[in-house]
Parts: sequence; C-alpha cells; structure tokens
Amino acid sequence: MEEPRSELQADAEERTTSPDFDALTSPEELVRGERTRDDFFDAVLGLSNPATASEVADLAGHGVDAAREYLEWFEQMGIVKQVTESPATYERNQSYLNWRRVQMLQDEYSTAEILELLKAEAARVDDLAEEFDVASPEAVSISKHASATDQSIEDVWVAVSAWKTARRRVDLLERALATESGDAADQRTAV
Amino acid sequence: MTGQDASSESNSVSSAPIDFDRLDLIRDRFATDERFTQIVDQPEFASERLVCVYDTRFYPSSVQNARVEIVWFENGDFSLHYYENHVEGTFDHRWDRHPSDHNARDHIHPGPDAPTPGDDSSHPSDWRDVLSMALAEIEARQRAFWDG
Repeated sequence: MEEPRSELQADAEERTTSPDFDALTSPEELVRGERTRDDFFDAVLGLSNPATASEVADLAGHGVDAAREYLEWFEQMGIVKQVTESPATYERNQSYLNWRRVQMLQDEYSTAEILELLKAEAARVDDLAEEFDVASPEAVSISKHASATDQSIEDVWVAVSAWKTARRRVDLLERALATESGDAADQRTAV
Repeated sequence: MTGQDASSESNSVSSAPIDFDRLDLIRDRFATDERFTQIVDQPEFASERLVCVYDTRFYPSSVQNARVEIVWFENGDFSLHYYENHVEGTFDHRWDRHPSDHNARDHIHPGPDAPTPGDDSSHPSDWRDVLSMALAEIEARQRAFWDG
C-alpha cells in the first residue's frame, strides 16, 4: 500500500503523542482464536471443497491425529460432513450452519420482527430477480449476461451474489417463522 | 485441488452468497481489539459486510476517519476495502478475490480512489492470512503517518 503523502503526515507537535503500535495485538494473532478448537473450526469454515484430514491439519496448523479427532467430533456435531470414504474427505456442512442461524433468529427476534425482516428481504429478491430473465441466480451465466447487457463481469457478479445472499436470508427467515408457528400447529393439529 | 480458499479457480466465473458465519467469527475477534472503536454489521441477523472503524488516535488530525469494510463469500471470494477520509479528499485501497474482466481473480485496487482496472495479485490461500495481511498493510500505512 502507498505511504501517506507528506502533507498528511503528523506534525512535530502531534508526534509528541505518537500512538504505541507495538502495544497492539499483532494482526496474525488477532485473526485467530485462542484455542486449538478455534484453529480447526476456522480451517473447516474455510473449506469450499472436500478436504482430507491432512489438508485440514495443514490449514489448522496442528497434527493429523488431532485433525482426525476434531473432524470426527465436528461430524458428530454436524459442523462438517464426510464426502468420500477412502481417502476420507470432509466439507463444511452449510445446512448445519443454516439451521444454527434459524435457531438464533428465533432466540433473538420476535415473530413480528422476523416478519418485517422477511418482507424487506423478499422485496430485495424481487428487485434483483427483475434484473435477470431466469428463475434463479444459479441459472445466470455471469459472463454471458455481462456481454449481453453490456455490463462488466464484476457488476453482474455483484448483482448475482446479492441475489443469492437475499434468497439465503429469505430462506432462513421463512424457516424461523415456519418452525415457530409449526410448534403451535403441532399441538393443535397433530395427526 | 484442496478444500481451502485457493485461488486456483481463478478462471471460473462463479458466485456464492455472503458467508454470514465467517463474518460473525471475524466480528467476534475484532470486537474487543484496541484498533477499532466500532464494528458495525447490517443487517445484524445475517451480515452483508462488517464495517470496522479505526480509532482516530492512530492518525494525525489530517485524517478525519478511517475504516476497513470486510465482505466474504461462501466460495472463498472476498473484498476488503480500506478507506480514509481526509480534510481534503480520500484514500482507498482494496484487496479482492472475485471474477472480473479486467484482472485475475486475486487483485488489488490501490489508492487513491481504488481505480479500475487494478493490479493482478496473488493473495494467501488461507482466509485468516488474507485478513492479517490486510491489517498489517493498513498498520504499515498508519505507522508511516508518524515517521518523518
């Protein structure tokens, strides 16, 4: 990154109270958790493709035996799912993370609040869907759409990502609502 | 192909939703750090970006405020955008991994005003290393305000 231009630099008077950068937690430490468990959780959170225990060990910065133990534990909890047998590979279990967020939505928001959030997100989905003439963001070819509409790939990527994000939010909010009213409905109309 | 956030898919044009879980984790780790006075995520139930506001004591009075905005996607793509507001003008720097027609998937838009096209780059494969690289570069610039 560029250095600040000289006219922006601190003047002599300001320099008498220079900040103590060395007292800060280093960036390397700040981005990591304190425990071994955090290292493994961070490693599996970054998995977008199936990985072996030894790849997870490398990412976590710990041994392969520890990786196997944590992967087994995470699999039991639902944080990862096993994809292949031999070699055993694992990937982040997004459905579990989504389920956890649905629980969080129910704990932290009232039904009325969830409904308001849902209305706003559904409106966003509608607005974004109007930009593309297909049923879902998965059906958009970013490069084709960019050249057909004379937009940059980057701009189309931003819009498709926003569409996927808004749809994910709608899904989470709908599930949070459905489970809440579902509990009550179960009691009334259990068959 | 390992499962990490590798840049080896640099030619594929794909997208993914924002990684709410990764942003939550970053927010939790940054929330108590002395660098930042405020971490804002909106909407908070499923963040679309974390706005991390730097404490003004790291800057001389010529800089009114500074922040880094963090966006991460489930496929490992990201955009980290550092902003400074000055009495006259601004400064921007952006570290990106996403499809574009002007650069490789990994690229940088250097300040001022983060121009397009940017410079091709190769960011670390591990997302935590990407984040610490950006924070370290920001700190190097902050220190340079006081050298002289």
